[in-house]
Amino acid sequence: MRRFAVGVQSNVRTFLRTPLNAILAIVLPLVVIEGWGQAMAGLPSMPTVEAIPIDLGRLLGGIFGVAIIAGLMGLVQMIDARDADQRLVRTGYPPHVLLATRLATLATVTVVVAAVNYAVLRLTIEPDASVAAFAFLALAGLVYAFIGALVGAVMPRLFEGSLVVVFLAMMDAFLSGDSPLAADVPDFVQYFPLYHPKQLLQSAVFEGTFATGDLLFVGGYILVLLAAVTAIFGWTMRTAGGWSA
Amino acid sequence: MEATIQQTDVATDNETLVRAEGVEKTYSSVLPFTRSVPVLSGADLEIRRGEIVGIVGANGAGKSTLMNVLVGVLDHDGGTVERSGTVGWCPQETLLYDRLTVSETFRLFGSGYGMSPEEIKDAKRRLAEELDFEQYLDYRIDQLSGGNRQKVNLGVALMHDPDVLMLDEPYTGFDWETYLQFWDLAKDLAADGTAVVMISHLIEERSRLDRIYEVRDGNVYDVTEEGAEKEQSREGAPDA
Repeated sequence: MRRFAVGVQSNVRTFLRTPLNAILAIVLPLVVIEGWGQAMAGLPSMPTVEAIPIDLGRLLGGIFGVAIIAGLMGLVQMIDARDADQRLVRTGYPPHVLLATRLATLATVTVVVAAVNYAVLRLTIEPDASVAAFAFLALAGLVYAFIGALVGAVMPRLFEGSLVVVFLAMMDAFLSGDSPLAADVPDFVQYFPLYHPKQLLQSAVFEGTFATGDLLFVGGYILVLLAAVTAIFGWTMRTAGGWSA
Repeated sequence: MEATIQQTDVATDNETLVRAEGVEKTYSSVLPFTRSVPVLSGADLEIRRGEIVGIVGANGAGKSTLMNVLVGVLDHDGGTVERSGTVGWCPQETLLYDRLTVSETFRLFGSGYGMSPEEIKDAKRRLAEELDFEQYLDYRIDQLSGGNRQKVNLGVALMHDPDVLMLDEPYTGFDWETYLQFWDLAKDLAADGTAVVMISHLIEERSRLDRIYEVRDGNVYDVTEEGAEKEQSREGAPDA
């Protein structure tokens, strides 16, 4: 337990001592939410969607903003200190505890990022179910935080990993959204990471309800990602014999 | 040949703390059009309690590879490595968390070693004094000079009083005073029974080493006597 506490403290300090993180977390939501809103403002309303395009755009901007920041932070958390992590694990620090400290920090930061995005969203949209809307935004962030962590564990290169996360999030938010530009998308889009979080968020914001099936799907998605990250991180941190302490 | 590693928690054998037999290592990749690089092809060595051992060899001979295999941070393809007791490892690159302070670094790695907060505090105080970085305890690692970073790197390897200390060119960036302090520390550790193993390039250091292994052509040769002869002939040679 002491190792976990020391690890989380170290991660939080490292995060807070990287000013770019805080700047990104505050500035990006403003730009992305209003940017997506204005980009979709000129589009015609869709017969199957009640929301007006500008609000739908802001909503998609909000979910994209959370996803992209959480995804990149997940990526950086896994890559930034990989070599030092390997040394730490050799001292006897259990890899699963180290991963738990990383994911706990990531989850906390994601909730904060979701809160900032939600606050910006609230400036222009009044959600019908406020708490649920915030929770689903945070869930979308968690999905991408763990995707970022997975990409970082598989591909420990910042540039290539960032490209993967950014393009995936952009394509995901675009194809998963109800937009005339993304009409007639294939069925497999429903397996995209943001598809169900977006359905949940949209229902909570515009109708005040949500479908349990969507929620279960997102929960399953997160569990599968957690299992994959745990397996790959454990493999990369495996010790050749270990040291006794 | 199968690769095996054995680790025992307590140094049961009073003499030998690390024994490597027939260690083989080839760097290869699953990607096509990449070259396999054989580095070790049957390396044998023994490290005994209280010895200061030097590992020498030309650039690219495989010194760091050998040390990484001995430490256990690198898998080997064949042969056996047996270690007894605790290990401290000071890698050539300072593998530390850049945005943590020196004190926080000791706290984190100390928790990894399983030390209590009091033990960590004591070790930090002792090593900061011995290696002369007391004034930098509240500095972040990325704000330290190369030499001071290396002192912390060494301190992290030493903080749990290991039975075997593995050092990959540990004095890179040290000033002369610190270099001499380092050797005093190494001698004290060896006198207390710690085996100190270090990769060295400096011919002047041969006289400070109890045993010298040279990595050459994938094998490891005990060249302690050879080193002593060279030392004698250098001392006996007329000044130019």
